[in-house]
Amino acid sequence: MSVFSRPRRALTLVLVLLTTLALSLAAVRAQDEKVLVIGAAEFLDSMDPARSYSPTGIITLNATYDTLVTFPPDTADSFVPRLAASWEASEDGLTYTFTLREGVLFSDGSPLTASDVVFSFNRFKNIKGNPSFLAATVESVEAPDDATVVITLNASDPAILAKLAAWPFSVVNPEVVTANGGTDAADADTTDTADAWFSTASAGSGPYILESYEKESQVVLVRNTNYWGTAPYFDRVILQNIPESAAQKVALEAGDIDIALDITPDQIEAIDAIDGLSVYTTGSFTLHYLAMNRNAEFGGPLADPKVEAAVRAAIDYEGFRQLAGPGAVTPAAMLPVGMFGAYGTDKAPVRDLDAAKALLAEAGYPDGFETTLEYPTYTQEGLNIETLAQKLKSDLAEAGITVNLVPGDIGTFIEKVRAGESGFFLVWWQPDYLDPDNYLYFLPGRNGGTRAGWLEADAEASLLELRDKALTETNPEERVKLFAEVQDYWIANGPYAPYLQGSIQVGHNDNIVGVFRHPQWLIDVAGLSRVE
Amino acid sequence: MPLHLYIVRRFLFAIPLIIGITLVAFIIANAVPSDPVSANLPEKSQNDPEIVAAFRREWGLDKSLPEQYVTYLGNVLQGNLGRSIKTKRPVIDDIRQFLPATFELATTSIITGLVLGVGMGIISAVWRGKLVDYVTRTVALLGVSFPVFVLALLGLSILHAQLGLAAGPGRLDVRITKPAAVTGLYIIDSVIAGRADILANALSHLILPSLVLGVYTSGLISRITRSSMLEVLGAEYVRTARSKGLSERVVIMRHAFSNALIPVVTVIGLSFGNLLSGAVLTETIFSWPGIGRYAFQASTSQDFPAIMGISMLIAIIYVGVNFVVDILYFFLDPRIRLA
Repeated sequence: MSVFSRPRRALTLVLVLLTTLALSLAAVRAQDEKVLVIGAAEFLDSMDPARSYSPTGIITLNATYDTLVTFPPDTADSFVPRLAASWEASEDGLTYTFTLREGVLFSDGSPLTASDVVFSFNRFKNIKGNPSFLAATVESVEAPDDATVVITLNASDPAILAKLAAWPFSVVNPEVVTANGGTDAADADTTDTADAWFSTASAGSGPYILESYEKESQVVLVRNTNYWGTAPYFDRVILQNIPESAAQKVALEAGDIDIALDITPDQIEAIDAIDGLSVYTTGSFTLHYLAMNRNAEFGGPLADPKVEAAVRAAIDYEGFRQLAGPGAVTPAAMLPVGMFGAYGTDKAPVRDLDAAKALLAEAGYPDGFETTLEYPTYTQEGLNIETLAQKLKSDLAEAGITVNLVPGDIGTFIEKVRAGESGFFLVWWQPDYLDPDNYLYFLPGRNGGTRAGWLEADAEASLLELRDKALTETNPEERVKLFAEVQDYWIANGPYAPYLQGSIQVGHNDNIVGVFRHPQWLIDVAGLSRVE
Repeated sequence: MPLHLYIVRRFLFAIPLIIGITLVAFIIANAVPSDPVSANLPEKSQNDPEIVAAFRREWGLDKSLPEQYVTYLGNVLQGNLGRSIKTKRPVIDDIRQFLPATFELATTSIITGLVLGVGMGIISAVWRGKLVDYVTRTVALLGVSFPVFVLALLGLSILHAQLGLAAGPGRLDVRITKPAAVTGLYIIDSVIAGRADILANALSHLILPSLVLGVYTSGLISRITRSSMLEVLGAEYVRTARSKGLSERVVIMRHAFSNALIPVVTVIGLSFGNLLSGAVLTETIFSWPGIGRYAFQASTSQDFPAIMGISMLIAIIYVGVNFVVDILYFFLDPRIRLA
């Protein structure tokens, strides 16, 4: 038909164009420099160390700035020097003195001295930004000389080194930051305007510098030629935003990216099956738990400690581990396996339905009862919370407890939980800093306890005494003992049922070697290299 | 009515409409029982009244709702859309960054949808009841009903990862630096920069998402085209044209199609408006840094200034698209000019 002769010509044209494109695409070759491309869903609130509280921020800031101390490359149970060559704590645990490493330069070539640390820490504290709670115990920071930093605390803080190892305590170049609107003044929360500038460049002493950042697209890091430590292998590191894990898998398969950070447990098999690709799995510190409100007005039957114990006995822990995939474990108590002082998996609870039923009968519910479980609709580390809730529903049904599931938007859910008005809820906890101190939150009189209606007034005096000792003791050996006591208490008592510790999957090209996951830094890009 | 008066009148009508939309958006955003504090501050910070107070002060959340709205409107009139809580940048800068990506994709998608849809529509109208009609109608139905994300993932997996025929996620290859921003449209910016390689790369990245969105859009367009064509093909003047001995091509394209265009233009306009206001799923899967993802993130983080800015933008887009459609009517149908 002559009617379509013109469209046909157009079609031929389009085909020719497409072929040309495919060819020119193949002609684009990677440059000579060593480039690492990481595909990750971008979660970024700020590139300013004093304001950032997000995964993409953590990865970038660790690569571009230095903290006084840090963790070993693959664990978080001890501290190693970074900017500080050595440090010591005073007898009363209120004064920490750090001696700085010699010869450290900022990326612009100017020397890093103790007064820069003072500026950075004061700025962080005064900005009152998202992570500023980490500086709550810091009373003052002083620099008696160029190589010495003295931090005075307003109260004993056993977790202070863990906090100092976190990104908000990054040391920034005051000259550069001040020139771009930054200040360490007491009113920095209203006068510091450097936030936007931090998204365009970096002012640190880390192995990389921030070359560019385009929101929702990519973060580009290039080697810092003035870096004081061992030079990293890659000249350039690109964090490419790929929000969807299925698309990350495709990009990894096609060779667009070297590492995919957000792989889900159900993708492991498919990726492992592809030649040249692997999935690295490890446990995460995310603690999934159930909370039962001690306030009978909200908790109903669940306010009874015997019922709490029955719920703990009725959970099919092994089934949850299988659901979460390799790397997932069952924690012994409200302290994740791998954290300093935490029990190992040998103390993990096991399911005992008979015990659960007996406990329910003892509590006066021989035929069980009906209740509602609230949880947020969310996907955490590739785990759909809905799936977890459904499994809990069926586990508890076997013990005679009928659970009605009530999903909610995460914001609304959290608000109800925070008000202490949720009777039975399923949520998870990620540490704000890598110290067990973070988990004492789940004791009476602390916020986690209050949310579950577990108030100081109703708690045993001995437990409160133990809590206060654990909060202030700084001697590591004593701390291990105290945390063992706290965990023993949680195993038998309390309004929580920790049922799963999540896992992390990182997909990568086999030619990339290094540590693919750090509990604090998520991924330390300076520690990765490529085998040719 | 003369064209320029018509334009002025339409423009004046749009102003109360857009202000009304900001009010509705403001009320809805505030009615959601979720607090920007809990959406944006980490758990521990929320327990520190000083940090929470600093956050509320910074974002004006310490003021009463009417006060917040009036301040907002006042700022908007001065061309200030406020600062996004999430990105901490002026909302106008965010829109300037994300809108071109969406505009580029929406344009190539609507062209794809138009070519496919109008083509299929004419074919199935001309061969009504024949096999080719059933096939194109089935394809059109699949286009509308097939989930976009499945199509997108299939496309990526087969055409990109397996066969390497189309580029993957993103607007450019990871290692390619974007062209200097003039319009924000990579196709145009790369031409301005004189970089054929970037142009080719940007086009290759547009292929898959445009196909996915184009196929989706073509389903609707082809159905409307078909029914509109069938109506016209049965009209007296088409029979007259045929009896005059005009070629089939002239009869179909000039006599029938140009008269069947009005409903087709309407649906194309609406589809384009829809594409311009952001295709969240497609943008997510293709890692396309567009307005749809921005809108999605703004709503999940209760980012009021961004939510308001996007609501206004989308209102303006629809008003604008409808306006262009009306102007097209003006040229397509002489009766409208006379009315």
